[in-house]
Parts: sequence; C-alpha cells; structure tokens
Amino acid sequence: MKKIFQHPPEPVNGKKYWQSLDQLADTPEFRQKLEREFPAGADELNSSDVSRRSFIKLMGASTALAGLSLGACRRPEKHLVPFTKSAEWSIPGKPLFYATSMPHRRGAQPLVVTTHDGRPTKIEGNPYHPSSGGATGTFAQSSLLDMYDPDRSRFFRNRGQESDEKAFDAYLTKLTAGLGSGDGLAFLLEENNSPTRERLRQEIAKKYPQALWAVYEPLGADASAEAHSKAFGDGVKVTAKLENADVILALDTDFLGCEEGSVEGIKAFSARRRVNSPEDKMNRLYVVENRYTVTGGMADHRMRLPVSQIGAFVVALADKIGIDAALSGQVKTLLGSAKAAVKFDERWLDEMAKDLVASKGKSIVIVGARQPAAVQLLVAAINGALGSFDKTLVGSASDEKPALSIGELAAQIQNKKVTTLFILGGNPVYNAPADLDWATLQKSVPSVIRLGLHEDETSNRVLWHVPAAHFLETWSDGFATDGSYVSVQPMILPLFGGWSELDILAKLLGMPKSQGPELVQDTFRVMANGADFNTAWNKFLHDGFLKDSALKPRDLTFNGTAAAAFLEQNTSNQSLEGAFEIVFTGDSKMDDGRYANNGWLQELPDPITKLTWDNAALVSVATAASLGMDVKKHLGTQDFDTLEIAIDERKIEIPVLIAPGHADNSITIPLGYGRGFEGRIAKGAGVNAYPLRTTGKPYFAVIKKENVKRTGNLHRLAITQDHHVMEGRALVREATMETYKETPDFAKKMWMDAEIQRKPNGDGNNVSLYNHPPLDALNQWGMAIDLNTCTGCNACVIACQSENNIPIVGKEQVVNGRSMHWIRNDRYFASTDENDPDPEMVMQPMMCQQCENAPCETVCPVNATVHSTDGLNVMAYNRCIGTRYCANNCPFKVRRFNFFDYQQRPLDKLKLGPLTEKGSPDTLKMQKNPNVTVRMRGVMEKCTFCVQRIQEARIATKVKAGASDDVSIKVDSFQVACQQACPAEAIVFGDIANADSKVSKLKAQNKNYRLLEYLNVNTRVSYLARLRNPNPAMPDAAKPGAFEKDLIHAEEEKHGAAIINTTGGEA
Amino acid sequence: MANFFPRSSNWLPLKVLVCVIVLGTTVTVGVGYYFTPKYTRVGYQPIQPIPFPHDVHVKQLGMDCRYCHSFVEVAAHSNVPNTQVCMNCHSQVQKGNPKLQPLYDSWQTGKPIEWVQIHKTPDFVFFNHSVHVNRGVSCVSCHGKINEMPVVYHHESHSMSWCLDCHRAPENALRPTEQVFNLDWQPPAGKTQMDIGLQLKHDWKVQPPVESCAGCHR
Repeated sequence: MKKIFQHPPEPVNGKKYWQSLDQLADTPEFRQKLEREFPAGADELNSSDVSRRSFIKLMGASTALAGLSLGACRRPEKHLVPFTKSAEWSIPGKPLFYATSMPHRRGAQPLVVTTHDGRPTKIEGNPYHPSSGGATGTFAQSSLLDMYDPDRSRFFRNRGQESDEKAFDAYLTKLTAGLGSGDGLAFLLEENNSPTRERLRQEIAKKYPQALWAVYEPLGADASAEAHSKAFGDGVKVTAKLENADVILALDTDFLGCEEGSVEGIKAFSARRRVNSPEDKMNRLYVVENRYTVTGGMADHRMRLPVSQIGAFVVALADKIGIDAALSGQVKTLLGSAKAAVKFDERWLDEMAKDLVASKGKSIVIVGARQPAAVQLLVAAINGALGSFDKTLVGSASDEKPALSIGELAAQIQNKKVTTLFILGGNPVYNAPADLDWATLQKSVPSVIRLGLHEDETSNRVLWHVPAAHFLETWSDGFATDGSYVSVQPMILPLFGGWSELDILAKLLGMPKSQGPELVQDTFRVMANGADFNTAWNKFLHDGFLKDSALKPRDLTFNGTAAAAFLEQNTSNQSLEGAFEIVFTGDSKMDDGRYANNGWLQELPDPITKLTWDNAALVSVATAASLGMDVKKHLGTQDFDTLEIAIDERKIEIPVLIAPGHADNSITIPLGYGRGFEGRIAKGAGVNAYPLRTTGKPYFAVIKKENVKRTGNLHRLAITQDHHVMEGRALVREATMETYKETPDFAKKMWMDAEIQRKPNGDGNNVSLYNHPPLDALNQWGMAIDLNTCTGCNACVIACQSENNIPIVGKEQVVNGRSMHWIRNDRYFASTDENDPDPEMVMQPMMCQQCENAPCETVCPVNATVHSTDGLNVMAYNRCIGTRYCANNCPFKVRRFNFFDYQQRPLDKLKLGPLTEKGSPDTLKMQKNPNVTVRMRGVMEKCTFCVQRIQEARIATKVKAGASDDVSIKVDSFQVACQQACPAEAIVFGDIANADSKVSKLKAQNKNYRLLEYLNVNTRVSYLARLRNPNPAMPDAAKPGAFEKDLIHAEEEKHGAAIINTTGGEA
Repeated sequence: MANFFPRSSNWLPLKVLVCVIVLGTTVTVGVGYYFTPKYTRVGYQPIQPIPFPHDVHVKQLGMDCRYCHSFVEVAAHSNVPNTQVCMNCHSQVQKGNPKLQPLYDSWQTGKPIEWVQIHKTPDFVFFNHSVHVNRGVSCVSCHGKINEMPVVYHHESHSMSWCLDCHRAPENALRPTEQVFNLDWQPPAGKTQMDIGLQLKHDWKVQPPVESCAGCHR
C-alpha cells in the first residue's frame, strides 16, 4: 500500500493570498512555472552562447590538458608576511570595531564598522546611539560596497587628461591667490549638516564675501522646510514622535520605507506595534497614497488617491477637524473647488477624522516631503488642532543656514556671474531639473572643479575632476536625526587617493591639506565646550557621538496669519479627468541615482514590485486597460510593454508594470536609473526619468492623456516575485485585534494546524521515519520573526548579503530565477474578490527554516548537508557536488545554487566559464568576510543562521572558560546579521534551550506558529502572526477580518483527515 | 569453420584479469600512500629566509612559545613574530651574524620578511588556535616537538581524519592548561595520559564538534 500525500486544498471561500497577478489569474503558464524546482531555464544552458555539446567538447579538451600538466603538480609555496613593526590594536585575524556615521541629507546615520586587518568588511548601526539602537537600513548596509566599487574615479583629471594630486594642489594655491573677494566664485554641494562644513562655509563667506553657496538635493524637502518656517517661524526643526502616537495618518509618505530617517521611523512605529498578549494595545495607521509602499502595507486602513489629489483630501480633513481660525475661511473656499475636482469616499474621511480627534494629543498626521508647501502647512494646522504639538510632534531649535537653490545658481550662471564653479559631490548634469539644461549651463562656466566618486555625467568637460573620498575614508562630522553630534572617522586611507569636500574648502581658505582630524577637532573644541579636550575627543571617537548633544526642544506655536497669507497663493486642485499624473519618487534602492553602480542594491528586489536591475512605470489595472494594454496578455511574461511619456517636448520610453493597489490615472516612475556613465553595474540599468522633471513640478506633474502612449515595444524585466508562491498553505497568518482577543491562539487553529492539535493520542505530531543524531548541545538555536512589526524594508537582505559573501548574479540570471539572496522578503497581496483594486499586503521574511526533520538532508547523496547537535541544518560546501536534490526537496525553496562562478567571472560573460578572465577586482575581494567561505560554481548554499557568529561566540565562551566547565554561551550575547540590522526588531535569534532568552519568550506566545507544521518538518524558525487593528466604524472595516473566523472555526469540515490520505490506488 | 584465434588465446581473459588486479592494487595502494597528506605534507621542510632554530631559542634559552607567537591565546591565527619582536634581542645579540642579514635588511627598509608557510589549512577550514590552547591542547599535539627542531618541518598529517581522530577522543591530547606550552610535558608518574585526559574531558565538559560540520567548515 502506498501512501499518497495530499496537501490540504485551498479554502473555497475566504481571503486569497497572492504574489502576482499571474497567480491570481492562475494561468496554465504560471502553473507550469510553479511546479518546477527552479524556474524554467534556471537549470539549463539554453542560450546560444555555449551549447551543451560544445560545452562537453571543451570539458574533454580541458581534462586532456589537465593530464599533460600533472607533472607540474607541486605544492605551491605560500608566504607568511608579518608587519615589520607592530600596529597598534591590531591582532592578526581579529576584527576591530570603530564608530562612525554615514552623512546623508537630513541627518547622519550612526554606525559601527567592523574592520578585518584594516579592511572595513561590515557595517552595523551604533547600538549606543539612541536614534539607531544598532539598526541600519539598506543604504547604510550597502554603502560599504560603494567604497569598494572598482569603477570609482581613480585619477585627478585636468580637462580630461590624467593629472595628479600635486598639480591640482598647485592649481588651487594659484586660484586662491587670485580670488580677491570671491567675485565669480560659486559652490554647489549636496545637503549635509556637518558643522565642520558649516564652519568652513562661514570662513569662506568671510574671506570671499561675494562667493555663492548653493545646495541641491534632487529628493530634497524644500517644500516642508518652507511650510514649517511659515507655520512656526525660522530656525525650527519639526520631528514626529511616532512612539507617542496612538493614531497615525500618513499622507503620501513612505516613512517606513526608503525615505529619509526610515530607520528611526520604523523603530518608533514598531515600538507601538509590538503586541505580546491580547491585553496589549497597538497603534492604528491610516495611509493615503497613490501606490503601494511599505508603509501602505503596514496600514490598518488604506486609501488609494492620486498624489495630486491629496491636497484636496487634506483640505477636506482640515474642514472636518476645524483648524486655526485664521485659516478656516480659506479652507471653506478651497473645499468648494476641491470637492468639485476630486472624488473620494467621504465616510472614510469622516470616520478617520473622528478617530484622530478622539485620541487628541495622541494622534498625528504626517505628510510626505513631496507634497506642496501649502499642503504641508495645512497638515501643520491640523496637527495643531489635534493637540499634537509637543506631544507627538516636537520642535527643536535648528541653526541651519539658508543656501541658494540650484535654480538661483543657474540664473547667476546665465547672467555670466560665475567664473569658477566648485561642484562638490552630487551629479547635477544627471539629476538637475530638466528645464535648467544644466549640461549646457555648466559648459558656459570657464572653470568647473568637480569632486565626485565616479567619473560620471557631470565630470564631462570640466576643468578639474577630483576623485572624492568615500565617507568611510574621511574625517568629518554631522548631526544625527535627533540632533546629536556624531563623528565620521576613516576606516581606511582613501583607496584611490581621493579628497573630501572639507579638504577642498580648507585649501581654498589657505590651509594645507589636512592629514588627520584637525579640521573636525577644531569644530569639536567648540562643541565639547571646555571639557578636557583629549579625554572628550577620545570618548567622542569611541562612542561615535557626543553625549547629551541632542537638540534642545522648543515649543511649537502655529502662526495662523503668516500661514493664511501663504495659503492664499499656493493651493490648487486638479481633476484627473482626461489627464494622467506622473509621479516621481526616489527609488527604494537607487535613492536619487547615487547608488546606481552598487550591485547589492541593483539586484535587491524592490519591496513591493520585486523588480531588480530596472525601473518601471507603475499603473493600476484600470489605467493599464485605459492605455489599451491587454491585462491578460500581460500575465505570465517577462517582456513588458513600454510607454512613451512626454512632458513639454521631453520624452522618455519606459517599461510599464501593473501594480495592484495603485491609484487610477496615476503613473509612478522611480528616479535614479538610466545613468549615463559606464559603470559595470549601472550601465544599461533602467530608464532615466529626470528629463521629465522640472523645477516647478519636482514630484508630480499632471499631463494630458495624449502625452502617454503605448509604443508597442517590449522590454524584459527581471522580477523575482513569482519564483516562490504560497499555494494556499497558510504561510502567512493574520487576524484582527478583535479576533486575537476572542481567540488568542488563532494562529495555531488556522488551516491544517488545527488538525494537528486535535489528534486523540495527545502528542499531535506525525512520526519521523528517520533516526536523527541527538540534539544534545548545550545551546539550541532558533529564531522567531514578528510579522506584526516587520515592514519588509529589506535591510535584512543586504545585511545578510554583506555578512555572508553572497554574490550578485546579473539581470539575465535573475530572469532565469537564479538570484542568490539567502533571505528574501515574500510579499503577498490578499483579497477576497479577485477584481478588488484595493488588496491588502503582507510581508514575510523567508530564509532557511532550519527544519529538525529536514527534507534536504535525507536526499543528499554525499552528506554535504547534515544536522549539527545544536540544531542547525549545516552545509559543508567543500563536500557538495551540486546534485541539487536538496533544493528540489526543500519545501521553502530557500536553497540557492551557484550555477556559475559568480564570484570570479564578469557577470556578462558567465557562460563562457573558463574561456573568460578569472578573478574579481581586488577591491571587491577586500570587502569579503574572512570568516565565511567564498563559494565557487557548482555548490549549493543557504542561510546558515550566521554560523560563523555562533562559532565565534562559542569559541569566545570556551576561551574564557579555559580550565572550567562554564561553556554555555551567555544568553542573547550575540546577534545574527539580519537580526542586528532589523530596525523593527522583528527578527529575534537565540537559544531556545534557555527559557530566559528573548526568542524563547517570543516562541511561548500564543500567536507563534511554524510553517508547514503538518508536514512534521519541525522548523526552528517560527513566526508571530500578523495583527491588524481596524477601526470598526470605517467603511472598509470588515475587510481585514474577512473570513478569518471561518478559517479558524470551520477547520473540521474542510480539512478533516486530509493530512495523510491512505489509499491502495497506486501501489 | 577455421579457428580464428590460436589456442593460447584461451588464457587471455585470465591474463587480463591478473593484470587488472595487479594494476588496480598498485594504483590503489599508490594513491592511498603517495596522494595522502601523510606523504605529501609530513616532512615538508622548506628553506626559510633565515634558518630560525627553534631548538636554540626554546630548548637552550628557555623562551616561551608566546614570546613570539604572542596572540595564540586570543586569536584564531597563531601569529608569526614581526621584525620588531626579533629586533628586541637581535639588536644586541648575534649582531654581526650574516644569517641574520635578512632581518636587518627588513628592519632598515621596512619590508617584511617573507617566511615560507609550512602548516596550511585549506580555505574552507576555519581552525582556531585560541580555543585549543586555552582548553588544554598543547602545541606539540599538532606541530610535534618544535622545541627540538633546528628548522621547522611538518610533523603531523593535518588531514581531516587526523583532526577527527582527536575530536572523537580528545582525552588523548588534553593536559592541564598550565602545561600547554611545555612541549616536554609527560603525565606524572603513576598516571597515564588517558587517566588525565578523561578526567579533564569530564571536568571541563570538553565536547569538540564531530558530526557538526560547521565547527570547522563555514
């Protein structure tokens, strides 16, 4: 008799979870794709480069040659090369940790960098700094690879000719002598709040009073700065305190996603989202946005609304809540025109407004920096009416000095007022507003001196191009988002001899180029305010920040009259009748384009679209239909239609992607792609959307429908979302707070799990057929992931990649489904009706589940994957022969195979194998973690629970124990890479044999569940079910909880005896 | 029909079989002996830039291993001393010795001495010195009696099975931690290595990784 195993069927009614529109439509092509071990083509050499036949020929030839060379098979002579003199603190093979921070617009990110023998290899957050708490985001994690980028600029160039530092130094000296009062001198810089830079700026203003100082950030927050200065007066910085908020309304802001300060945002938000028992309370999040963002995915209620209509929504909300008397008259007038132009669900707004008002003082409205200043101003007024000031919204004094905008600088250039222009950082030729025509302007300036990490668009036709030093190579300083003074110190000498912007500014002031921290020390002397300098300075470098230097709070008072005067001239509401709005967003990976040559980021799937190596215009299903696209034809393909979009004669052609949950008549285009510079990664990735962007309409533009056309061309996109789907196996479980209160252990009663626990013999689990080695080590490793706080921000993915030497594989290989990430964020949409344009969204990080009864282990013919006594499913790379049986048998599809020598060969010549050059650039080798094997072609790999960190902890414990028996690793004494990076603290790793560990406490919670428990795989990773906190009065309140009660209670009829169906059929 | 093959060819299969067996055995034995670390590694004694005599420094002068290999107790690597450490003494001692010329050259030029590596673990093996020497495994267990070597050579095979022999039965190597760097240590009279090893293994909860590949391969 043969046992035929049957997975439980997907419930007939109830919510469906789906990853892509293909899956929802369940096309035959999709079915076929799904049932393969790897996606089609992943396990085949099916391109024309090398056929299987010629491959065998080559193999034969090389084997024969190998025989000839056997005679030369000698032990290679290797050398041990010690220093001549001991280097301070250096112990060969031991890492050192230094505090620093990553300068970024609107605030530096405090970091701790791991260096191995002088090479920075890993970036973590600074655990001592209150606003970081040890967490990091994707940008900070991957900035390491930016430093090692082999395409970085290596030479000083004078009019394109290779020159050297000395010649440039001499040029600057000569220039300084003839500058006079600075007439014709101008600077264009990136936003950076370094007080040392500010100090040098002041000195330059003193020495050269005529000099112009402009700052440009393509994704800047000029509108909100303007609105805040109108509302609260100059010199006030406003910060949201989300940790104090019970009810949050987020308008067109991805504060949990890629936007500035998201690490702090996630930290504060998740602090109020962590629910340990049904008695706990959690916050409620309303989101109004045009496209699905990570923030929208966390929402309890979400409304899709075009970006250009959010202003109308705010006006209606202001009217509903009743704001500052000076403004209310204007609001009434505005409301009339808003209502005429914009339609949305009034009841949604009413009930939400009631909820906001009901928790006065504990509610907050936040709005994206992309909205016009008038909208920002109204939101500030609404917050005033909600009593948020000094509670959920706090002000602090700030002394940021105004600078010229790039438009003002352009006007000066046009008037021939600028003769010497310093472009320090940034890339205006690529990303300046298109109407300025910056490339031509720049050519009209006689001497342009450009400091840049790459020789890119802006470096063309400049007088001097100067290689910039990366922030990991320079001395500097800055302010974190909480205003505390943080240090930036070099981890390594500039790899390519670059200069920092401070070096150039100092040089212009007649100082010699500093070799150390002198410039920053001068600033620090003032900051530290009289403390003993050496002690204070050393502590500053050690801690990474100056204690108690956070900005002092300042009371917020709303200036109604100033606001009213401003509002008068600045609001408009547009109907999208016969029009499309084009929305420009910063990309979740490329930011404004600065990370375009960073392979980790290019290959990182976008949190929502799962798109890699490209950008695409996002549209809703309805908009796609109105553009004449056949939505059904769109499914199951890798080749996507392209659109031609024209604004004022400027055109771009961009592939289009149908995005569930997108607002109609709205087209979202991520910026930062299509770089015109020949980096090995950036080249050919995506489409540049900056040509559509103008000074007046930086974030969205409303254009006539005729200006958007289908071209009929197709473009291939590498999307990872379909590679892994759930197939109704209840991998994600969620419920509303209400259900959780009624049935605290709902997660254990859902779907098949209910079946397991109802078995009469009590133990409930199936029996394993295999004998396993005993799990008898002192520490047993496990992990719990809280789906309720996980936003899907992807920080863990990059952290894992940088910790574990995971290669990138290139666009073509991603299309073939061969991406190598050990941890992936599965994004599911959920809806009860497949035509619902408003699906919900859930995220689930997925890595090796470390099954105790691991299906992969039993099929390995060479015992390359076995179980360790501390419960890890370990992988011995040197033993693996690449049969891929394990991947085939893995129910979670988390094993990754090195189909090619990704670490050794250029990505565009992978298939040529031994016929192409071998070896990766030296700088990339320097980044590798020396404690993790760099895997070669033909080897299977997967998440190891960062076994190198476990072993390090174990060895440290044993070394400390010495001649004693104190060999148990101290509870929660180390973290794995994904856990350490996670700003939401959603990933918790630890010793499950110790009841005091954080992970044991989480696993003891009743909403803890394990994946595929009914298969008895006994996973060591478990998940805490997602909770939603809908407002019962809202019109869409029924949605989150739809059918979940059915799922919990109706188990018996649906899945009765479905676990193992014994039939004699096919024996 | 004529006989195509001569009568002698009846023996051919047997001859072939004997040849195959003889050849097969020779190859197997040959590979088993010559291609294993026991043959390829043990005895490897390359010419060093300076013929550093461990016997003089340790046996005659009584220096401790850790004077030069200073980080062996804290790091995975047991470091080779840098020029500065050598110069601590040799700026005075044996000053004119021509054999020491590479050392003085290095000190003068700042270019390190390139010692030829003798003991090398493959890249996929993560061996850690500190955990061994802190838990009662002496240098002598893996390197032999270095203190008696005029020029160092590879003493043990360092093959995986050799590692596992000890990891399966650590009692054969354990000794009191204060005797780890005493390469001439013998168990006190009346006790065998086994007595002491078993006692220590129990007292210190010594459990080296055996089937857990990740202990050494990461």
